[in-house]
Amino acid sequence: MSQSMATNIRERIARIEKTPAIPAVLLPLMKLLAMPADHVDMDEVARLISYDQAIAAQCLRMVNSPLFGIAKPPNTIPGAVVLLGLNRVESIVMTSCIRLAFPAKNWPLDPAVFWQHSLGCAMVCRKFSKMLGGADAEKAYVSGLLHDVGILVNCVAFAEEFAVSVERARQNQIPLGEAERMTMGFTHCETGVVLAEEWGFADEINEVVAHHHDAGATTKARGLVALVHLSDLLCRMRGLDYGYYERHKVDLLTDPAWTVLLAEYKQLENFDLARFTFELDEAVGQIRELVSTILGGSAQA
Amino acid sequence: MPPVIQPPSSRVSALKPVEAIDPAFRQIRDLVYNVSGIYQAEEKLYLLVDGCGRRMKALGVNGPRDYWNHLTARPSREVELRNLLNELTIGETCLFRSLPQLDALKKVILPELIGEKVRQVTKKIRIWSAGCSTGEEPYTLAMVLSEEQDGLLKGWQFEIVATDLNDRSVETAKAGIYGEYALRNTSDYFKQKYFTRLDEKKFQIRPELKKPISFSRLNLQDDSKMLFMKGFDVIFCCNVLIYFDGVSKGRVISHFMNDLSFGGYLFLGTSESLMQLNDQFHLVHFPGAIAYWKPSPFSQKT
Repeated sequence: MSQSMATNIRERIARIEKTPAIPAVLLPLMKLLAMPADHVDMDEVARLISYDQAIAAQCLRMVNSPLFGIAKPPNTIPGAVVLLGLNRVESIVMTSCIRLAFPAKNWPLDPAVFWQHSLGCAMVCRKFSKMLGGADAEKAYVSGLLHDVGILVNCVAFAEEFAVSVERARQNQIPLGEAERMTMGFTHCETGVVLAEEWGFADEINEVVAHHHDAGATTKARGLVALVHLSDLLCRMRGLDYGYYERHKVDLLTDPAWTVLLAEYKQLENFDLARFTFELDEAVGQIRELVSTILGGSAQA
Repeated sequence: MPPVIQPPSSRVSALKPVEAIDPAFRQIRDLVYNVSGIYQAEEKLYLLVDGCGRRMKALGVNGPRDYWNHLTARPSREVELRNLLNELTIGETCLFRSLPQLDALKKVILPELIGEKVRQVTKKIRIWSAGCSTGEEPYTLAMVLSEEQDGLLKGWQFEIVATDLNDRSVETAKAGIYGEYALRNTSDYFKQKYFTRLDEKKFQIRPELKKPISFSRLNLQDDSKMLFMKGFDVIFCCNVLIYFDGVSKGRVISHFMNDLSFGGYLFLGTSESLMQLNDQFHLVHFPGAIAYWKPSPFSQKT
């Protein structure tokens, strides 16, 4: 991205009436949740959640949802955290934080579709990472969840042009990034990384946000970027897409990201991609339910 | 903190409490996958449970653990596995069975093939329905391609070769008469355009639609005949290879590889895979469908 375009994007983001502010608990929570599961201090998670009323309320609403069918749902945050389990708390907390910063009003993209893709990608990243025996499954999860944060920026800061991009993508059944570039001259990767840097995300997450559509272009965190890139493609091919048909053939084996991962993980040579794909389908229904529970009850927001 | 609440036992993201499915069924699922390439995803596991249930009832077997012995330890295990596979794929034969596969063909593959073949003298697309059973698949393909005849396929011909091992199936296929069940995914538009109504419940394919299709009997394991199947752009072979043992399967797949033109595609059943039996095919994804692609020597990348 040229310097002038970056400056331009930065200015546009700064000009939004209400600059999306990072919710105070997000960064400490991200740090906490990025640790291996058995190292996470659940009490600490509960304490951080209690600081933020909106997030706390979201957690309590989840445990009270009929999905759990509990006769006497807990009415305390620690109780809810334990019952929900770390995975779901993680999803709720992250999405709540981001939704607080970007209330979904008149988005050109259906918020449910956006969250299904983001949470789906997060889950696939974690699964993929675990399968490869990577130590950073949780980092992969967070990266997957945040990779498209630029789409939120576009929804808010570039609403009109982005609406045209989305429509163009839908009409021509082409990838959203291509339509963005044709329409606006830049994509959600460029706007996303501006926000990610502003919010102080970890460097490797910034790399993912910036390069998940051109995994070959990055020199830092190459494995993680490649992993998110491939997971994103898989999600778009297995029903966790942006809500329209992409006329697209995806050949993961010839994707440069595959080569990057292959160099890092020997296990990939014997990887059963077909089975992995079928297993992902199992999760699509769960992701949809999760999203409708998270979004449910608060209209579009 | 409320003392009595148990944390979820693992970091599984399933929202609904997992129903108590006997772990033996998951063992059977893996066995089925390893021998046939058919994978029953968790949310379709009930199909496997039902299928096993019907077989267990037929055999008078008490539980899945007992049934597991029938599938693995008894001398009749191969027969039983075949019976189970039959149960699992039953009811899959209908017209317009897999819409994502048809979308991939229509929206991605045809434009790609036409782009690549545009300079050729004979403008023709050749498709093989290998294991066409009673004709549902080739007729579906013929309808889909006919619909493109005024658009994408203007000036192009298409040919569908439909083969099956079973003589009777081939004869039924030629007749092209279908009832409501086989037509459950077929819209009124297609029914009116390509079928003649015979009575309350039966519809027959119109003669025009049969023209581009040639039906014949073929054993996919007949090496000498397989050598003559040449120059296909797309092969559909859905839920057929699942019945073959590893060696025969590998051989049929090599034939398919030779029978396809460069840049051609092989489609299997919707939850069927080649596993790792052939590394020359590239597994490629389309929205909602996977296929095996024979890369052309010139197109290393998509």
